[in-house]
Amino acid sequence: MNIQNLSLQYDDMDAPVLQNVTFSLGEKECVLLLGASGSGKSTLSRCLTGIYPKELEGMMEGEVTFEGMPVNEASPGTMSRRVGTVFQDPETQFCMLTVEDEVAFGLENICVPSEKMEKRVETALEEVGLLHRKKAAVISLSGGEKQKLALACILAMEPPVIVLDEPTANLDPVATDEFIALLSSLKELKNITIFVIEHDLDPWIDITDRVLMLGRNGSLFYDGPLQQGVDRYARDLYEEGIAVPGAVRMAMETGTATPPYPLTARGLAAGLSAPLKAVSGRENGPALIQASGISYKSIFSNVDITISEGSFTAIAGPNGSGKTTLSRLLAGIDPVSSGRLTRPFPDKDWFQHAGYVFQNPEHQFLTDSVWEELAYSGAGDEKIEELLEWCGLTDRKDFHPFTLSQGEKRRLSVATMLVKDQEILFLDEPTFGQDAKSTSRLMDLLKEKHRAGTTIVMITHDMDLVDRYATGVVVMKDRKIGFTGNPDELWNEDLVAFQLKEPFRVRTNRLIKGDMYVPQ
Amino acid sequence: MKNWKLKEIVVMSVLSVVFAVVYLAFLPVGKVLTGFFGPIGYDFIFGIWFIVSIIAAYIIRKPGAAFLSETIAATVEVLLGNAAGPMLLISGMIQGLGAESAFAMTGYRRYNLGTLMFSGMMAAVFSFVWGYFQSGYAALAGGYVLLMFVTRLISGAILAGVAGKALSDALAKTGVLSGFALGKEKRKKHAA
Amino acid sequence: MYLNNLNPSVKALTILGLVVALALLFDPVTPALFTLVTIAVTFLFGDFRRKYYLFYLIPFTIFAVGMLWTTIAFADAPKNPSETVGLIWWEVPREDVLVAVSLSFRVLAFATMSLLFIFTTNMVEFLLSLMQQLRLPPKLAYGIMAGYRFLPMLTTEFRQIRAAHRVRGMGQESRWKRYRRFAVPLLAGAIRKAERTAVAMESKGFTGTRERTFYRNIRVRKKDWLFPAGMGAIFLLLILLSLRFDYFSWYQGQL
Repeated sequence: MNIQNLSLQYDDMDAPVLQNVTFSLGEKECVLLLGASGSGKSTLSRCLTGIYPKELEGMMEGEVTFEGMPVNEASPGTMSRRVGTVFQDPETQFCMLTVEDEVAFGLENICVPSEKMEKRVETALEEVGLLHRKKAAVISLSGGEKQKLALACILAMEPPVIVLDEPTANLDPVATDEFIALLSSLKELKNITIFVIEHDLDPWIDITDRVLMLGRNGSLFYDGPLQQGVDRYARDLYEEGIAVPGAVRMAMETGTATPPYPLTARGLAAGLSAPLKAVSGRENGPALIQASGISYKSIFSNVDITISEGSFTAIAGPNGSGKTTLSRLLAGIDPVSSGRLTRPFPDKDWFQHAGYVFQNPEHQFLTDSVWEELAYSGAGDEKIEELLEWCGLTDRKDFHPFTLSQGEKRRLSVATMLVKDQEILFLDEPTFGQDAKSTSRLMDLLKEKHRAGTTIVMITHDMDLVDRYATGVVVMKDRKIGFTGNPDELWNEDLVAFQLKEPFRVRTNRLIKGDMYVPQ
Repeated sequence: MKNWKLKEIVVMSVLSVVFAVVYLAFLPVGKVLTGFFGPIGYDFIFGIWFIVSIIAAYIIRKPGAAFLSETIAATVEVLLGNAAGPMLLISGMIQGLGAESAFAMTGYRRYNLGTLMFSGMMAAVFSFVWGYFQSGYAALAGGYVLLMFVTRLISGAILAGVAGKALSDALAKTGVLSGFALGKEKRKKHAA
Repeated sequence: MYLNNLNPSVKALTILGLVVALALLFDPVTPALFTLVTIAVTFLFGDFRRKYYLFYLIPFTIFAVGMLWTTIAFADAPKNPSETVGLIWWEVPREDVLVAVSLSFRVLAFATMSLLFIFTTNMVEFLLSLMQQLRLPPKLAYGIMAGYRFLPMLTTEFRQIRAAHRVRGMGQESRWKRYRRFAVPLLAGAIRKAERTAVAMESKGFTGTRERTFYRNIRVRKKDWLFPAGMGAIFLLLILLSLRFDYFSWYQGQL
């Protein structure tokens, strides 16, 4: 597959999304395209699959060819047999109700004879390990299973090229690793070219043959092997919103490393003589919110938990373990069915003292502009200016909240919850689906608030964040509290049982002493 | 169906599903109003039941949008369990046809407030004629029937036409309609 | 079970035909008998969760009874006010009661037929059948299917938004303003998702043309005709009965 001088501009935007992009995909290659969210990655994937220029509201120049044939001359039906796509959002790539119907949908489209379909549906489901869910309703699958189903749908159509557009962005770390392991085994097994579009490089390091780096201006600034790319651009990656591999970040933070940077924990460990230190200051203050024996409907019963004043508490655990329910009870959004919940402020002006940032920031927007959004919460002009400055949205104040980027929306939703200088802030997975730069900007803001005395309770899957920021952690398992304490104590527990992934620092430290695990 | 894009159909269908639920939610409101005012109660809020036609047609601007969206909404209502059952399907189609007829009369070229209100009124006319035969308004006194008709006309113009336009315009501001006729029109106006 | 395996298009058309036919009649007996027949047929030949059926039927019945009551209460001046019936402690014109009972059973008959369809029909098979038998364009059929999938998702969204708004401190505004603030994020999210779904469908080679094969082929078999024939026969029988006992009457727009 060849992409020649591709440039593209949408009608409703001032600057081009892609500028002069040129690269090629070889047979059986696994190529990783790195770029920040909003850098035109998804646009590029649509060009590869021939959706653009057909559906495009804008201008496209340059040429995309498949085995020498221009993609835009092929009919959409034929293109789907050559390039299959797995999209980011597991909720929106299906149109049928059951697993088998969904896989068959693609086959029906390309007119596979009815009698041959069943076999191909089953083979594809077998390849991704979902054969036992053949008759299941799509809606009953977990996020990870949905992405596997999306892959099965593509595999059934047997295209030589598979494009994956941030396929793991909405999955938790354990499901992400599982999905990538599945891909790499399929790569060995089948004759397929894999093109992955991502902003987070870490999980993909092992299966990548080559990387492309796409800048915010829409042009490629690197095409080649991963190691050289990282060595050359390590410092620019952050600015471009691409997550620097954990090993590289740690190596740079220790300040001693020079290229070639280590890419994996193993590589990093080899160059270290002393274990990496944990952040200090994990002491917790007196109890602020105290729950004893609380229950909620049939979801969980008899839970005891304490949130300390001035703490940065992380709530972790697998999907469906009750994290959100717990945080909503603590925040007083849902009333407890039974048990005792003590909060430091009276119920009637509770939300003057506590804020809750929902997983989807759009759900909380009520007005037509960023400015009004803050004004609605009762901020005066001065306070609004101050908050806008704080979250870096001053030049966006007249924008409609929905038209902001993911990172900006998130920061705005946090700002609306801080108008009254709330003492307690709850956040439901605030870094989900954000690129590296907006994650670190958000975390810096939260850290600043935390230092100033705000108590923060945050649901997250990301153990690296927990390791770097949290002073306390609660792990939910099967709708019960599985662990509560300090992050450093958690790392000594059996993390696999909690479906959590060891933070990078801890993994590296473990490798320093060989494969033997030495508790700190 | 040839000149419809798939995304337009899916969006229309999603709108229909959303408003099917809204329609069901407004049935008890109608019932309460009938309790107070007699049969005319429903007519006060009758316009609500035409709104998806106006929204879909205003956003997508293709022949059939008003009719199809109302029909799908009625079907979903039946599937969710509306007591009127299959009769509702027919009422839905007739209301949809009414709304559609207004857009057809303008040659599917004008989508200003006047047209949208007119469309809501046409839906009211069609549904009233159907109701006259089907639910037996004939049995009621002439003056009362006329009052019902006028109420429904106004309700159609305001609750479907004006409210439908306001809601669609609010949606257009969020930028999610940039790929649809309404969003494109707004963009052109903005550029000019 | 027979009803579950029945061709959905045949089933739908039969029911629609019967409803239209029933709508033309107006007497208290025929719809009452027909309601009983429909329930019997549903239970004898359908496979579904009995409990849920009752769960649905009860509100319809309450609705019908409520209608009976209000129709009597709001009735026009009767032609023969002298003929009255004692309803518990209430003396009402006989004519009004007849009209009310007829109306209520009509509603119940429509409702039970609609339940027969809903409880024994798979939504996907219905759409497949509409495409394969009634030539519904695939673009429309699959577009509807994709939209229908959003229903549970929208319910969750709705709850989320409601809770999210509560935290922001809503409540001092007018009802209409609140509706708008609800509707915009809900619809904006839904539209964006719908657009993504459409892209995903197209990337799987869906073009909306009629040239496609089917994983599940829905056919009309000979035994499918039993249902319209049987139901039609029962309906005719009921009409004959009404003619024989002289209570047959056309619907003349009674309310």
